[in-house]
Amino acid sequence: MRHQRLFVPVLALFLVTAPAVTASAQGEAVLGAPGFGARALQALVDGIQFGAIIAITAVGLSLIFGTIHLINFAHGELVTIGATFAFFLNVSPAGPGWHLIPAAIAAVAFGALLGGAIDRGLWRPLRARGTGMINLFIATIGLSLLLRHVVLVLYGARPGSYAQYDIQSAIDLGPVGITPRDLTVTLLSVLVLLGIAALLQRTRIGTAIRAVSVNRDLAEASGIDVQRVVLVVWMLGGALAALGGVFFGLVEIVTWDMGFKLLLLMFAGIILGGLGSAYGAMAGSLVIGIVAQMSTLWFPVDLQYAWALLALIVVLLIRPQGILGRRERVG
Amino acid sequence: MSANEGGPVLAAHEIVAGYLPGVDVLRGCSIEVRPGELVGVIGPNGAGKSTLAKAVFGLLRIRTGTVRLHGEDVTNRPAHELVRRGVGYVPQLANVFPALTVEENLRMGVYLRPRTYARRAAALEELFPVLADRRKQKAGSMSGGERQMLAMARALMMEPQVLLLDEPSAGLSPVFQDQVFDRVKEINGAGVAVLMVEQNARRCLQICDRGYVLDQGRNAYTGPGPDLLHDQKVIDLYLGTLARVR
Repeated sequence: MRHQRLFVPVLALFLVTAPAVTASAQGEAVLGAPGFGARALQALVDGIQFGAIIAITAVGLSLIFGTIHLINFAHGELVTIGATFAFFLNVSPAGPGWHLIPAAIAAVAFGALLGGAIDRGLWRPLRARGTGMINLFIATIGLSLLLRHVVLVLYGARPGSYAQYDIQSAIDLGPVGITPRDLTVTLLSVLVLLGIAALLQRTRIGTAIRAVSVNRDLAEASGIDVQRVVLVVWMLGGALAALGGVFFGLVEIVTWDMGFKLLLLMFAGIILGGLGSAYGAMAGSLVIGIVAQMSTLWFPVDLQYAWALLALIVVLLIRPQGILGRRERVG
Repeated sequence: MSANEGGPVLAAHEIVAGYLPGVDVLRGCSIEVRPGELVGVIGPNGAGKSTLAKAVFGLLRIRTGTVRLHGEDVTNRPAHELVRRGVGYVPQLANVFPALTVEENLRMGVYLRPRTYARRAAALEELFPVLADRRKQKAGSMSGGERQMLAMARALMMEPQVLLLDEPSAGLSPVFQDQVFDRVKEINGAGVAVLMVEQNARRCLQICDRGYVLDQGRNAYTGPGPDLLHDQKVIDLYLGTLARVR
């Protein structure tokens, strides 16, 4: 808990200084519409879509923090690897040229395996040696740099789009226009989030994940294999990151550093929602996505991430524990 | 099990363990719990009492030494495996899931055998009547004493043969402390061997069959509880002036 208090202001400071780096990540402006109300509704829909994608990726990050108290700076790279792996299977001349749907499923499976392998091969041995949290945090930054540049070498610096569902006409739903692709991505994202909630609340492994998040020793004392739970959380986090990466690459574009740009918003989402709370990560990410898109009604698109991060600071000033976080006594 | 017939249920031998690399909290500590025994471990702050409980239960890596359960080596086996083999453990303070109800906490106690919940819960509500009336109450809203009762009940849900209690009276009022010690005696009376690490040395030694006094991570004295209570060396080392006055 001491680390939690330490990291919140550090990350908040990092996040407010980051918009200059990340502002160009999302290029598309909200489609023009005649009235302010219609434009606002459009921005809200776009914000929900963007927020749901952030939420999918942020939930894994939040669960990992909740179970082993690790701030995983390399989580963005799991997003990128998911997106670029699907790109390889779907588009790359060296790949098999699969349709995007099986390519996305394979990317999710690969993300799960990669998440599990990273836990078993790296974090578990480090935990067993009693490595401190700060050291582990720095190690995640190193892993992030390593993975990001491996992707740069393998994928290249040129942005790419998937072979299917690239250019579509928007369907008019009253004042709101949305492409079938974006509508599908939004609905799938919401379904996935509901599925995660059901997993956490109604399954045995979900109960175990929640128990480990609350009190690791007590979970062990209840007969829960904590190492196995942590492995499952890493696999789940890797799979969700890969899925979010494919979705983000689908509605935006696939780039070698897309996950790193999204990482700032993931952190913002989980801090805003309450560190360590999966539902908080969902709620916080939705708020971040909506604020980012709604801000474009008044301010330049390049500043939309800055407004989302400003919202984070304002909420933390009013409610330091985040939207769904629990109050904690300090000292 | 037959190889250990008549031997201790739980035996820790020359345990060396600690939290930081190169810093040993336990420096060759040994204990034994025989079938049906209530064993107390006392000692001054920092003696390594809680560390001993954690190391025996597999929550802290043992650097050297062995832990045997029914004669079988379980050194550094994970805690959930010991739960499966019949060891219960109640941590010192954060010993319930505060956001869960009493019933949900008890269900966590039979995570490995969920089908036994109804039978075990009914049995334990007889031992801890306060829990029967509060099944739907969130554990976090209960008093310290009630939480300790719930924590012990959770640990007993798996019908352990040996129960490790880490300072069960810590932070409780004298009235609740008495209730906790009464319950511990009852649990032991029902045939469960108990290893109780305790900061309330006097009450612990009053009820335990045998006691161990730890000092700086080593066994200082061992003997029957009432004997240790009146042992001049123990009084000088740990029980102090208060004991002389009484």
